[in-house]
Amino acid sequence: MKPLAGLRVIDFTQAMAAPFCTMNLADMGADVIKLEPPGEGEPTRHLGAVHKRGHSATFMTMNRGKRDLAVDLKRPEGVEIVKRLVETADVFVQNYRPGVADRLGLGYAALSAINPRLIYCAVSGFGGTGPYASRGGYDLIAQGMSGVISVTGDEDGAPAKSGVPLSDLAAGLFSAYGILCALEHRDRTGEGQLVDTSLLEAAMALTVWEASEYWVTGEAPKALGSAHRLSAPYQALRAADGYFTVGANTDRLYEGFCRAIGRGDLLTDPRFTSGAGRRQHRKALVAEVETTTATEPRAFWLERLDKEGVPAGPINDYAEALSDPQTLARRMVVDLVHPGAGPIKALGVPVKLSDTPGAVDKAAPILGQDTEDILIELGYTESERRDLEAKGIVERWPIPGGNRR
Amino acid sequence: MAGALDGIRIIDQTQVMAGPFASMLLADMGADVIKVEPPEGEHARHVGLEAAPGVAASFLAVNRGKKGITLDLKQPEGVAVLKRLVATADVLVENYRPGVAQRLGVDYDTLAAVNPRLIYCSVSGFGQTGPYASRGGYDLIAQGMAGIMSATGSDGGPPVKVGVPVADLGAGLFALLGILCALRARRITGRGQRVDTSLFEAALALSAWEATEYWYTGEIPKRLGTAHRLNAPYQAFRASDGYFTVGAANPKLWPIFAGLIGRPELTQDPRFKGVGDRVKNRAALEKEIEVATSKETRAHWLARCEAEGIPAGPIYSIPEAQADPHAQARGMVQELQHPQAGRVKALGNPVKLSRSPAALRTAAPLLGADTDAVLAGAGYTPAEIGALRVKKVI
Repeated sequence: MKPLAGLRVIDFTQAMAAPFCTMNLADMGADVIKLEPPGEGEPTRHLGAVHKRGHSATFMTMNRGKRDLAVDLKRPEGVEIVKRLVETADVFVQNYRPGVADRLGLGYAALSAINPRLIYCAVSGFGGTGPYASRGGYDLIAQGMSGVISVTGDEDGAPAKSGVPLSDLAAGLFSAYGILCALEHRDRTGEGQLVDTSLLEAAMALTVWEASEYWVTGEAPKALGSAHRLSAPYQALRAADGYFTVGANTDRLYEGFCRAIGRGDLLTDPRFTSGAGRRQHRKALVAEVETTTATEPRAFWLERLDKEGVPAGPINDYAEALSDPQTLARRMVVDLVHPGAGPIKALGVPVKLSDTPGAVDKAAPILGQDTEDILIELGYTESERRDLEAKGIVERWPIPGGNRR
Repeated sequence: MAGALDGIRIIDQTQVMAGPFASMLLADMGADVIKVEPPEGEHARHVGLEAAPGVAASFLAVNRGKKGITLDLKQPEGVAVLKRLVATADVLVENYRPGVAQRLGVDYDTLAAVNPRLIYCSVSGFGQTGPYASRGGYDLIAQGMAGIMSATGSDGGPPVKVGVPVADLGAGLFALLGILCALRARRITGRGQRVDTSLFEAALALSAWEATEYWYTGEIPKRLGTAHRLNAPYQAFRASDGYFTVGAANPKLWPIFAGLIGRPELTQDPRFKGVGDRVKNRAALEKEIEVATSKETRAHWLARCEAEGIPAGPIYSIPEAQADPHAQARGMVQELQHPQAGRVKALGNPVKLSRSPAALRTAAPLLGADTDAVLAGAGYTPAEIGALRVKKVI
């Protein structure tokens, strides 16, 4: 049994943030039903530059483990189907601009009237209230407005964002947290509720360290390349053949570090004897250290640092990261078979539960792949189903006797 | 108002960031979080900047809303106290290096024997299994090994990590996911379980786009400054007084943006027609766009983008981000009263629940502030508490 077995989630989402939320719920065993318009499907099926056999890689990445209902929400019969589905659901997740779901009759008020136990989660660029509520927001915009870009990159270089879309991803994870907390509340009280979060708030909630620095010093924290705001040496250091990372942020680890690189003299240099001193004289310390580390290759230093128990590591590219023995030992790369694209790879579940583990065991659906099953579950008769299909209100795949696409 | 996690008790044996961040978010939602520290206090109390003499700012940042007790787990009496607390708890969160909990006698098997309903969550550098399990791991190491640093910063420049500790924070969020899922499973099974996550795995799980690019194209994702791997234009552009961000990649927004900057002909340029063309010719596109955008100020372009419904925004410093009226309206900056530091600021909870909202209840506890009350709640008499104090167990 997976931990969320029996939980039904309706996924009216697109792109990344909310699909990542429901993907994590699906990994944990929730029955996630994705709603998509017939014909085109959600925009992610077409945007982006990477495909396999006509199937969008980004769509497949964010929608594994979900079921798919292709239904036209611009037609009243389509909305009716979704309302019948809502009666059977625990959670509804959407990430359209505030107002869009309401116009379709799928806002919080309308759906909670049908099912008062429903947990309705809205993920948007800026949240459902406040002066920017109606603006569109992307990961990039939220990284810029949260201050994340201002603390990322070279000290003097052009702006850099987090290479991974952390506002999107964090908004997805924070919404999963909000939903699961709301389920605890519902178990006690019977009440559903609205869960409302945004890319901007998620990104700001990640500026914990930087916010505290600002509040204490009154100054805006700067981008520091790979260095830490509060400790040194804790950054990438130059070796003869590239860079490696080291985190020697306590007196004990600093001693181990100096031993590992054979620079006992740095232990008695008055600039570097305390953590505060090392932080204050970070640049001088790194310049000193690199005169030594630049003389030998990365592997040499990593082995010596490992022996001293000093946290250190390579700077892997994705080819290296995804084939690292620890990655494989922790089952972070999973093989799946997609009904259209064939064999594909997916990232695994990063949090391991011993008794009821989650799992990545089903690829993303083809548009309409589960339409027929879901309509049957909702009690639609054969003739009703064929009628809905003939009217183009729903679409199913595969179509008996051949597919249209 | 009642929190969503009212009545759930968490034993928080964590330090520094990843673990404390997870248990702080549980406290925001109403859980009764008891932070257990060694008699000298956890590491974060002694490093970094101070909000007031002897009050570490980084400790304040991730320990609000928790109760604080001290317990010397190197003494058997300390372990005995912990076991009595565990008997009353739903969840225990720890982020020791793998092996340390066993040495102290507070590992999962031991504590599950005390309370079979306990959910025991471990957050470590690399996870409890695999070849690197016993290594120490920090955010920086995980960002480097999981590939995130290889995709952050500008091509040709020195290594850059994500400015915020995304592996630490991501591990905290995945720990929360695991804990909350385990609580739901417990309603059905009646049993607790082990939850095991790490900075390394969290950083990998956040690499969904980059892993996809690598697996599907065979090409290794590169560092792109502020640009998007799969869309363009979607990046920071230069204005006359600095940079601003724009996301105008989709087929509807791209022509509007090109028109707005006075370069409608760009949409007819074969290099920039489809999104695939624009991604391939991103450097040329950036150059063409900046010819126009660098002539006016950021405020000018942001106003134009807003009028046309194109997602765009400033690149704020941390102070600017906090002062923004929208961030204020969403309650993202709050104040709490700390017994020594006075009024201290705190970031708000990013998730708004309508019926059982998160709330920032109290500032981070002083060392051992709640030891007596928590032990009394677990049935210890004043005499017993006094005896433990004499032995320096608490």
